[in-house]
Amino acid sequence: MMRRSACASKKTGQPNSTNPISCSPSDLFRTASSKASSKEMERIDNLFYSFANRSSGMIDPEGIESLCSDMEVDHTDVRILMLAWKMKAEKQGYFNLEEWRRGLKALRVDTVSKLRKALPELEKEVRRPSNFVDFYSYSFCYCLTEEKQKSIDIESICQLLDLVLGSQFRAQVDYFIEYLKIQSDYKVINLDQWMGFFRFCNEISFPDLSNYDPDLAWPLVLDNFVEWMQAKQS
Amino acid sequence: MIESHMHRLVQMENSGLINMIVDEKYEDLGRMYYLFRRVSNGLVLIRDVMTSYIRDTGKQLLTDPERLKDPVDFVQHLLDLKDKYDKIITSAFRNDKTFQNALNSSFEYFINLNSRSPEFISLFVDDKLRKGLRGVTEEDVELLLDKVMMLFRYLQEKDVFEKYYKQHLAKRLLSGKSVSDDAERSLIVKLKTECGYQFTSKLEGMFTDMKTSQDTMQGFHASHGSDIGDGPMLSVQVLTTGSWPTQPITTCKLPAEILGICEKFRNYYLGTHTGRRLSWQTNMGTADLKATFGKGQKHELNVSTYQMCVLMLFNDADRLSYKEIEQVTEIPTFDLKRCLQSLACVKGKNVLRKEPMSKDIVDTDTFLFNDKYTSKFFKVKIGTVAAQRESEPENQETRQRVEEDRKPQIEAAIVRIMKARRVLDHNNIVAEVTKQLQSRFLPNPVVIKKRIESLIEREFLERDKGDRKLYRYLA
Repeated sequence: MMRRSACASKKTGQPNSTNPISCSPSDLFRTASSKASSKEMERIDNLFYSFANRSSGMIDPEGIESLCSDMEVDHTDVRILMLAWKMKAEKQGYFNLEEWRRGLKALRVDTVSKLRKALPELEKEVRRPSNFVDFYSYSFCYCLTEEKQKSIDIESICQLLDLVLGSQFRAQVDYFIEYLKIQSDYKVINLDQWMGFFRFCNEISFPDLSNYDPDLAWPLVLDNFVEWMQAKQS
Repeated sequence: MIESHMHRLVQMENSGLINMIVDEKYEDLGRMYYLFRRVSNGLVLIRDVMTSYIRDTGKQLLTDPERLKDPVDFVQHLLDLKDKYDKIITSAFRNDKTFQNALNSSFEYFINLNSRSPEFISLFVDDKLRKGLRGVTEEDVELLLDKVMMLFRYLQEKDVFEKYYKQHLAKRLLSGKSVSDDAERSLIVKLKTECGYQFTSKLEGMFTDMKTSQDTMQGFHASHGSDIGDGPMLSVQVLTTGSWPTQPITTCKLPAEILGICEKFRNYYLGTHTGRRLSWQTNMGTADLKATFGKGQKHELNVSTYQMCVLMLFNDADRLSYKEIEQVTEIPTFDLKRCLQSLACVKGKNVLRKEPMSKDIVDTDTFLFNDKYTSKFFKVKIGTVAAQRESEPENQETRQRVEEDRKPQIEAAIVRIMKARRVLDHNNIVAEVTKQLQSRFLPNPVVIKKRIESLIEREFLERDKGDRKLYRYLA
């Protein structure tokens, strides 16, 4: 529906015309762009509903799978996690309308093919150091499914580590995963330990571990990991 | 002049310092002290040699399995050693403070080499308070208790001692086996002076319960005296949960003969103390049974509650199978087997006979009343024995419970410190926590770290965003 500029003409008898006050070129531009943006929003919304579950009004795991297959990306691909981050999605496996809009608007896409094409750029954005910490902590929290849950089981942590840090810190991730699987002190990992590992990857020389100081406040699980590594190496 | 020969004099094979110590040659030692004093490192040399000798022999003692078999003997040996060195320092080394300190630190070093030391010291005290101090003058009692306190001070794990002491004290109080109430209380006072009110408040609670129970029983007998007549005489100790060592709840069906009076007591007590709950601790009681055997020999048997339940069954039957006994009494298997073993397999106390006559109790055994039982004593004690050193698995269990108890103490210390300091680095937290808890135990730095992490998870603390060594208190 068109919104007439009030100053276009003084046509009388127009029942839907708005305030007949003077306007400027910027008003014209704004009108045009908001027209476009509302069109875009419409397309975004329609796209949402094409994947959403009829009864819940949300995109559920099934919907995400079909989205992924349309984009020709595996649903376990890290870029889907990055998309969730961009959307600031709260619940793992689900996107609601608000989140969907947020994400797609920020990416400036409104079709599946545009979304697919935006993924490389999204990945670059996420991997920028200023963003990556946020993404890294987000990915942990995204996996907390129960209400009061604060930790994630070892098996899932290993998968998540591989997904999120595998490309950047292959060696550290591989060894740490190996360690986590054989140790028995911890059955779950919490956010503090999760973040600690990231700091470890960034700060500690690997695999020599020469600058690791066990007297500093590293999470205990990392103290134990380093001890294990050192025992392996000797 | 002495300086050049100092080392040789000290190390001489058969007459060196160590030999003098071993043979208690006070005069020679005194002379050596006097001489070496004039030389700048003379006393240091004597002290160092003596210290390493004490540490080595102490270490040997603490790690020798033969020595550790008898805890009472072992602790006596420790006390004797202490006496010996004290005497050397007083008579030969002029009570030199530095020597005293060296002695103290050596003892502290080796006593804590064995994790069972706290238990053994408690067992020593238990033995003394049960029988060892019988007939000893008050003065000598105090002397011994002071010496025990000295050993106690050397312990790093005072909380472990507390646990065992509580267990052993409970047994003594409940079996009425304490040689001297005054001695018991005197030791509690000494512990309180050493460790503060918190350490002894529960122990004192146990004494209070005993006294209160006496009063309760008086009241009960006064109001029900006439009802009892011929029936069994009941004596109840009401224990406040929390003051006494925790006991697992055990099933056990009391014999009909005493159910009546037990109910009467329960009603009496709950009548005067509303809002309380009573549960019979059948694994802690004792009973005196009058028994008549085959040829009319009468004996008074002092037994545990479990043993009473089993024996009473033989009023109505001459032989019973294990399964039947188990079914009727509902005593847990492990305890029942131990109970039956003490009634049927111990020489001089076998008021029951077992078929077959094997050593161990099995499900298929049958038990008979042993009317051929004889004993030269009228009163026979078959009840469970005095406190004994724990078996390995029991010891592990106690260890675990101690570790569990320490966790909240460590956390409380961390929170107290962080609340006051707001921001603190890791090493300092560890140091402060250790200082705060040193009167009870030596916390493991790894455990402290774990507790910090747990507190971070529960959002009591957070890591500082800038300086990774720091923690912050979250209000």
